[in-house]
Amino acid sequence: MFNIQMTYNKNLFNLFVFIFIISSCSSMNVTEEVVYDGGISTVEASIQEDYPLEYETKAIFTNATVYFEFDKFNLNNKSLQTLKSAVAAMKNNPSIKITISGHADERGTREYNLALGQRRAEAVRDYFAVNGINSNRIIVKSFGEERPLSSGSDESSYAKNRRAEIN
Amino acid sequence: MKKNLILLILLSQPIISELVLEITKGSDNPYTVALINFKGSKSATNEIKNIVKNDLDRTGEIKILENNKLLSIPTNEENINYSDFKILGIDYILMGSVVEEDRSNISATYKVFDVKKESQIRSSKVFGVPNKLRQLSHYISDGVYEEITGLKGIASTRLLYVKEESSKGSSLFKLIVADADGANEQILLKSTEPIISPSWSPDSKQVAYVSFETGMAKVFTQNIASGKREIVLENKYQISSPSWSPNGKFLSLTLYQDGNAEIYILNLKNKNLTRLTNHYSIDTESSWSPNGSKIMFTSGRSGSPQLYEINLRQSNAKPKRITFEGNYNAKGSYLPSGEGVIFVHRKNSNFQIALKYFNENFVRPLTNSQLDESPSISPNGNVIVYAISENGIGLLAGVTLSGARFRLPTKIGEVREPSWSGFLR
Repeated sequence: MFNIQMTYNKNLFNLFVFIFIISSCSSMNVTEEVVYDGGISTVEASIQEDYPLEYETKAIFTNATVYFEFDKFNLNNKSLQTLKSAVAAMKNNPSIKITISGHADERGTREYNLALGQRRAEAVRDYFAVNGINSNRIIVKSFGEERPLSSGSDESSYAKNRRAEIN
Repeated sequence: MKKNLILLILLSQPIISELVLEITKGSDNPYTVALINFKGSKSATNEIKNIVKNDLDRTGEIKILENNKLLSIPTNEENINYSDFKILGIDYILMGSVVEEDRSNISATYKVFDVKKESQIRSSKVFGVPNKLRQLSHYISDGVYEEITGLKGIASTRLLYVKEESSKGSSLFKLIVADADGANEQILLKSTEPIISPSWSPDSKQVAYVSFETGMAKVFTQNIASGKREIVLENKYQISSPSWSPNGKFLSLTLYQDGNAEIYILNLKNKNLTRLTNHYSIDTESSWSPNGSKIMFTSGRSGSPQLYEINLRQSNAKPKRITFEGNYNAKGSYLPSGEGVIFVHRKNSNFQIALKYFNENFVRPLTNSQLDESPSISPNGNVIVYAISENGIGLLAGVTLSGARFRLPTKIGEVREPSWSGFLR
């Protein structure tokens, strides 16, 4: 039947071919688009400490640092010894204020380490509080793993970096 | 508090030291595509060819063969000798031409042919500008990828990450946006204090991040095009870990105002805060499910960091624990399909990127070095970019769900915390 038609009418055959091309075109994806071009601006942060401490108030506690175990924030005996003298100095100098900064080693995620550093700094603040130091004399913050003392990727470096600094 | 924050706005600074893509492993059974040199000016067509080849090779699902590997080179769509391509096991042919319409407009026309069917399956035209051929090329790559795999391409998306450059004991931190292949780096923010946790708004026009420029962690949002930035909440406490809701109206944040890390949702319009967690252990690293109905976060409430999720559509919903394998599972994010999560998982003493589907009760490790972190998934759900440490130097690496791997090493400094944009095309 098909053959007969084709031989019978060449125009009809051409029509068939034409329809075939149309239908193959309809399964083809045809697209047109314009490249999105959003610009980018560069900004520079101006560094500014929100709560600058008086210079002389810092000197007394220079190098008061306590250390922690991995993923822990409890104070050990050695830390308690360090903090005892810090409490005494705070009592003898009622005008001074301190900042406690908590830190973590590089293992684990940055945000969890930021929170962990905060817990470490708070553990130190709590020790001051139970020993009669008013918490409004203390600023607590964390640098997480962003400010390591030692840059190595080994346990001795990690141990130095898991700390709370009082100054 | 931040009244005297002075912003120095410079226009779009490109960096010469961009990341250099290295494909370290392809997937097992890729489609083979013959990439016929495009017609047009040699410099433009060469650049386009190289970028398209890189883009498609990197997907792991497509392998490119260039002119010199082919038996015959068709000069137009009518004279393709399909049998020459079939012998080589080639699945598709990509041909095209580039026309410089005028001094400021260029267009590329490309066509995809199915070798088995011996027919054209796509005809596309992309308009761009002559000095930004990269973008134009990425559009071609994405069109071809889509045609072949049925999945949206990500060559035209962007990566956001932090770079730290140190010299003489001091560091410079840069928040950078680059093309998905690591090229075309541009600086969003420079600071001498750390920048962490960058993330994109759902429309990819803004970023949120944590900056320590005030002396403690604070969350900022920044418009990419204008450079306009804003501190999201003014108070004297630390604020961290921003994540945008899928509708762009809320930011989930970690606030420290309760003396402990707790997750809140901030309404960006009226600045109302809704508290989400209330527990004496650490709760942080929140992220939204693709439809915005759930928030996942890391919590130490079981004694070690584990992932939990809260259903936002239930009142007083209790956090439901998601991860049980191992004693460190953190920084989770949902797959775009919502069918599972990727996160940082500790196995023995190594931190790796892992995947867990909700309908499976085991963890699938995706990486195997020691300090892998910050996984971020591409908007098509097919590629995960993450940070690794090699000889103490941080750089970015990626893995596709089809098993292909790549690295994005940098010549200068350390790179970390990648975050994948949404679709820009």
